[in-house]
Amino acid sequence: MVRPPAPAPRKRRGDGLATTLMVAPATILYTVMLIVPVGLALYLSLTDWDGFSANPAFVGAANYLDLLDDPELRRASLVTLLVAVAGTAGLNLLGLGFALLVNGNSRANTFFRIVLFYPHVLSALVVGFLWSAILGTSGAVNNLVTTWGGEVIPFLSDPTWATVTMIAVLVWAGFGVNVVLYLAGLQAVPHSLIEAARIDGATRWQVFRNVTLPALGPSVTVNIVLSLVTLLKTYDLVVSLTAGGPAGQTQTVAYLILWNSFHDARLGFGSAQSVLLMLVTAALAFVVTKLRRRGELAVHQ
Amino acid sequence: MTRKTFLWATVAFMLIPLYVLTVNAFKGQQDILSNPFGLGGLTLEPLGRALTNPNFNVFKGYAITLLFVVAVNVLSVGLAAPAAYVIARSPKRRFRALMLFFLAGTFIPGQVLVIPVVYVLKTLGLMGTIRGFVLFETTLTLPFSIFLYAGYIATVPAVLDQAAAVDGAGRLRTFWQIVFPLMRPAVATMVILNTFSVWNDFVNPQIILGPGSGLYTVTTGVYAAVSQYSTDYTVVFPTLLLAIAPLLVFFVFMQRHIISGLTAGATKG
Repeated sequence: MVRPPAPAPRKRRGDGLATTLMVAPATILYTVMLIVPVGLALYLSLTDWDGFSANPAFVGAANYLDLLDDPELRRASLVTLLVAVAGTAGLNLLGLGFALLVNGNSRANTFFRIVLFYPHVLSALVVGFLWSAILGTSGAVNNLVTTWGGEVIPFLSDPTWATVTMIAVLVWAGFGVNVVLYLAGLQAVPHSLIEAARIDGATRWQVFRNVTLPALGPSVTVNIVLSLVTLLKTYDLVVSLTAGGPAGQTQTVAYLILWNSFHDARLGFGSAQSVLLMLVTAALAFVVTKLRRRGELAVHQ
Repeated sequence: MTRKTFLWATVAFMLIPLYVLTVNAFKGQQDILSNPFGLGGLTLEPLGRALTNPNFNVFKGYAITLLFVVAVNVLSVGLAAPAAYVIARSPKRRFRALMLFFLAGTFIPGQVLVIPVVYVLKTLGLMGTIRGFVLFETTLTLPFSIFLYAGYIATVPAVLDQAAAVDGAGRLRTFWQIVFPLMRPAVATMVILNTFSVWNDFVNPQIILGPGSGLYTVTTGVYAAVSQYSTDYTVVFPTLLLAIAPLLVFFVFMQRHIISGLTAGATKG
């Protein structure tokens, strides 16, 4: 907690109180609603809380042991990792590629940036419902296909297709953000270096490979970590695009957490899953940052 | 394929879903099924029915969501700005520690906190209430707001504060009358970002307000209206269009701020 600072010389009376008044409300609210819940998640994961009882029973590591041989969670973890890794690759390849294409301050480029970015301002829930209406069995695309005498493409009704579709929609909806972030990084690439390389007769590809990309190092790290962390908690889109189907094959960990907690009233078990997700997210972010650091250093030597 | 052709092809690909959504919001089920991309048989009837859907009162949804957006923004600015000011202007180690304390919050994914937050809200008697929801939603905005505001205040010359103090203004008055008006760009960016995150949030209103409360935001309302009728396209398309129309208009007007705000956030740390 913040204590009022000791009155310093040449300070006006009442400044200490004013300082407290300015800092305390935000600090208290943040502590109660964000820091305490993190600790509570740990505590609740050791109980059998059902969401109603005031005094949940302490069950020790039982929830964590249940996690280890929970086939649903194993499947959801694989789906989540696949979504996170493939999605991160897609977001960053497209993000960097398009950033290079729309770099520069022409009117056309501004328009392109807006169009690439707009899906991000729609809620993931709406994006999912929209794409499921377009790609569903009786959706717009399959209507065209069948009109032309083709077979229905099981975009959302076949487990493999549905997972691929989900990743594609996530990339469609999100890569505009990466474009904007990479554009910010491109502002920092020294122009004189690029000029010098061009004068020395380097091809476009060589300039990109040896000048632009190394200079973008930190920006690539931020983008990869941000994409990973965001994709690991994919939830809204699963609800609206596939509802976890077919037969639970596209459930992500976040989807499972909320399902177990609020549908099956197993909030203790859900908390254990949350703790696991938080740890895995933190570990992945840390490992990626470390690996990238090493890469960045290698470039500079 | 030249760069321009490729980009225009991409633009088409990005906008096709929006086109399908808009066109089909004005068609009957038969026309949607037989010709989803065509412009035949346009009618206002489905949109009219979406507006009077018993499962989801769109205007009430707009009103409630707007109320949340305004309440969260006012609270967020009111709490984060003064705290950021103290943090930015105090050389004391205590306040530098406080900055790190708030920064830690940017790494906590809000979504996985919903279970313990339910516990906290139940304990405080705020579960299922507008107050509880607004307080939690505001909390989620604090870490990044304080970070952004403190960074911005650091660029405001401290001479201004000292001059105000010499003229006899207390700390609170110095901040609200001298420094706060200068923070307009940072506050504008944050308000826009918060508006989107509150408007689009689905998990928190769904869980904290719950279907039982009768309080539907735009997202939870869309879920209630669309999820069971996902093959009745005369419900799906008009409802989705109504859900995103205000936001898209807002985005087109505010895009510069949004894109620059994101950039400011990206280069943090």
